[in-house]
Amino acid sequence: MLTWLIALPVIAAVIVALVPKRLKELHLPLGIALSVLPLALAGYVFWIFEPVAGYQFRQQAVWYEPWGISWSLGIDGISMPMVLLTTILVPISLAASTSITRRTKEFVVYALLLEAGMIGVFLALDLFLFFVFFEAILIPMYFIIGIWGGERRIYAATKFFIFTAFGSALMLAGIIALAFTHAEQFGSASFALSDLMNLELATGAERWLFAAFALAFAIKVPLFPLHTWLPDAHTEAPTAGSVLLAGVLLKLGTYGLLRFNLSLFPQASVDAVWIMGTLAVIGIIYGAVVAIVQPDLKRLVAYSSVSHLGFIVLGTFALTSGSLQGAVIQNVNHGLTTGALFLLVGMIYERRHTKQISDFGGLQKVMPVFAGFFLFMVFASIGLPGLNGFVGEFLILIGSFTTLPALTIVAAIGVVLAAIYMLWAYERVFTGVPDKEENRVLSDLSIREISILAPLVVLVLVLGLYPKILLDKIAPSTEAVLDHIESQTEFVIPEPGRLGDVFVAGGDQE
Amino acid sequence: MIATPDVSWIAILPELVLALGAVAVLLVDVQWKPATRVLGVISAITLVVAISFTMLQWAQAGDALEFGGLGALVAFSGMVVMDGFAVFGRFVLLVMTGLGLLAGWKLIESLNRRGAEAIALVLLATTGFSIMVASNNLVMMFLGLEIGSISLYVLAGMTREKIKADEAAMKYFLLGSFASAIFVYGVALLYAGTGQLEILAIRQFFTEFFVTSPAVILIGLALIIVGLGFKVSAAPFHSWAPDVYQGAPAGVVGYMAAMAKIAGFLAIARVLLTGVPQLDANWLPVIAGLSALSMLVGSIIALVQNDVRRMLAYSGVAHAGFILTGIVGGATTGMLFYVSVYAIQLVGAFAVVAVVSGPGSSGSSIDEYRGLARRSPALGAAFAVLLLGMAGLPLTSGFIAKFGVFSEAWANGYGWLVIVALLASVIAFAFYLRVIVVMYMDETEEEAVLVSATTRWVLGIAVIGTVLAGILPAPLIDMAANAFPL
Repeated sequence: MLTWLIALPVIAAVIVALVPKRLKELHLPLGIALSVLPLALAGYVFWIFEPVAGYQFRQQAVWYEPWGISWSLGIDGISMPMVLLTTILVPISLAASTSITRRTKEFVVYALLLEAGMIGVFLALDLFLFFVFFEAILIPMYFIIGIWGGERRIYAATKFFIFTAFGSALMLAGIIALAFTHAEQFGSASFALSDLMNLELATGAERWLFAAFALAFAIKVPLFPLHTWLPDAHTEAPTAGSVLLAGVLLKLGTYGLLRFNLSLFPQASVDAVWIMGTLAVIGIIYGAVVAIVQPDLKRLVAYSSVSHLGFIVLGTFALTSGSLQGAVIQNVNHGLTTGALFLLVGMIYERRHTKQISDFGGLQKVMPVFAGFFLFMVFASIGLPGLNGFVGEFLILIGSFTTLPALTIVAAIGVVLAAIYMLWAYERVFTGVPDKEENRVLSDLSIREISILAPLVVLVLVLGLYPKILLDKIAPSTEAVLDHIESQTEFVIPEPGRLGDVFVAGGDQE
Repeated sequence: MIATPDVSWIAILPELVLALGAVAVLLVDVQWKPATRVLGVISAITLVVAISFTMLQWAQAGDALEFGGLGALVAFSGMVVMDGFAVFGRFVLLVMTGLGLLAGWKLIESLNRRGAEAIALVLLATTGFSIMVASNNLVMMFLGLEIGSISLYVLAGMTREKIKADEAAMKYFLLGSFASAIFVYGVALLYAGTGQLEILAIRQFFTEFFVTSPAVILIGLALIIVGLGFKVSAAPFHSWAPDVYQGAPAGVVGYMAAMAKIAGFLAIARVLLTGVPQLDANWLPVIAGLSALSMLVGSIIALVQNDVRRMLAYSGVAHAGFILTGIVGGATTGMLFYVSVYAIQLVGAFAVVAVVSGPGSSGSSIDEYRGLARRSPALGAAFAVLLLGMAGLPLTSGFIAKFGVFSEAWANGYGWLVIVALLASVIAFAFYLRVIVVMYMDETEEEAVLVSATTRWVLGIAVIGTVLAGILPAPLIDMAANAFPL
């Protein structure tokens, strides 16, 4: 079944590619229709997913025996939300791409291949396979930014590619080293995550390997100071590219840190809590401060991503039940809200062909529906209670306070800053009188645009009001990660920090 | 009545066929002046027969490896060997010759009467390199090297009315002969030190004797490495490659480059791994240094090239470094896999160059590729796949190849080399991407380019091979793993 989850988008891409060029109008609708299939399957997986620890629906086929590589897939509470998010965002971002009139067919094909790669990354339980997907997604994303992007698209695309490739090169060295360590200790090379988790690593080696993996993922996240590719890539990418980039691609980094760094290198992770936490908090504050002064709406949202992703990394390395659950669910939340914000920015850009905040003003009067959606997503993004952003940030902050109190207090300033940059931007764009001639004639959202945004609004509300629906399925898997760390190291999570200790997750959220 | 000695002809059957084929092409051409097409049929038959004999050899030498290499044999008084290594190399050489002839067919046709010479030279070059990978005797290796190289020098100057091609041929000839001389000098010193010319006997010598001051031997070995390093264009012996790749007629460059690389690397591996494994403490660091230097020099200088051929030449320098990491790993599996998949990418890439710039052209500015993917989508996509394959992106053979040699080097304790190699691979992404950017992201008003049927075949095979070996590498790796030298 999981193989189908990867195969469906590929098959869809092939079908779209086979539709001849003269049926130009058909490519995009067909792509959207076909991309609903993986969503349906992912929804089914979510439905029958048991809220227990460990991987479900496992599939395994030997790829090349002597190297110990295999086609090994599985899904657990950490990867399931990500797969679901991916399959939701792809049809939405395709539906939002009607403004792409040039080379539509190629665009749809690349987007679908990108979807297959992203799902593959989340499902892979073999490090070799994981790496293959991790690298393979660079190509379609590179083309999406490079062909359909803005003015400086080639610079942005190449920067994105080289930054990420640099990180993954060192990770590949780390993966090779792990496989050989396995060969030394158990007699045969293996790339299976479950095998490699049992390795006995010397402290020095473990730290180096941790660093190699962490660097690759930190570039993806992106963690301060490796974030410089992100604003460029986001600003230049077409709307669909930005949505998928923010919604899913960045999550590969936070997902990787949680899945691989914590599980493979528990001791090094414990030792690195302060370093990673500090970098995360610097990212939170720095991203927020820089976002305040951005004159470009899309860049502002991009920098807000740096800030939000900082929270996720902080939660990941705070190593408590609450913070880990918060990190996972915040991955989803950020994908939904930031994805929606990029869609909204894209919609106004299609009308006005500018993203400069100073070019707008008083849009509320001209486009009330648009303003409503925007304000709703702004509130979701800054974490207004009742909306999804609150759940994630609250869990992360309260969970992290147990282990990293000082950093958490500083991080909380980020929440305030988020309110500043988001609301100030809203104020400048939407309130006041529409004094510019061009702005007075803008048309409000069409039914199509509203129906693109509606599912996101619903999800934001559902996750904000009833996060249990997702948290119940996440919790056993994050607990398993913590159990693994506690069993491998002398680190004991201070009380109250685990699910059993009254305060977190379950208790308050119900 | 003189008794003829007992000779295992099977060991050199493919070479005999190739040489006869080359002679036949020339004689038929002189006698009947047929259409070039007829000569093509003769060379095709020659290749098919030679490949069949190679498969026969593989059945004997390759199969027997499972039983301890019983089927492998040393023939002609120790001159040549027929082991899995030689047969594998010969097989790859023959396949590349077939693809090379197909890719260069436009050029051969355009040469009119001299087309026959080109075909004969191609077959002779393959004969030489084929002997070279199968030689057990260093003098035999030299002969093979020279037969092959001299044919290539002439091929490089095939379009002699073009001054660029003349220059390329001359440069290649002068520097190549110089390198060959250095190689022979090295052989002489190795002979002076050990009293042996046969590679197997040299290994025997080191197991029997302990050489207290091996200075002469080491100098000899160093000279051999320099000579062969030149042929495979490893840095710092690479300076000829960009000029030759740029100047020689586009139709044959891919073939020339692939041949010299395959034979050169197999010869390096045979001399070092079969001949002097006991001296590895001496040569491993040297090869590792050459490897690191080649990777860095190749990738970095390729970044600033504005001619696709020069870019491919420098990328070839980088690839030489990557392949050498396999030898640093002390194993031949990864290296053989790498050489075979890289050779096919190289032939494919230059087939594209020959289409874009014309088969007899010299030089191929990156501007000629502007919007290629819009003008000729299939051609652009094929070139993109080949470039990504060379860059070593997952799902292409290049990734598996890199992974293979890097793992070997890592296992042999050269972790630092692997890290250098990985960083060099990232640098290399940049220049491969640059071509893809120009092809896909620039618009142009120019016309579509026509791709001939022969080139379509070459590109089809190269692309399918690159993707297939990237997704299902097992058969080829298993073959390479069975193809170790005696």
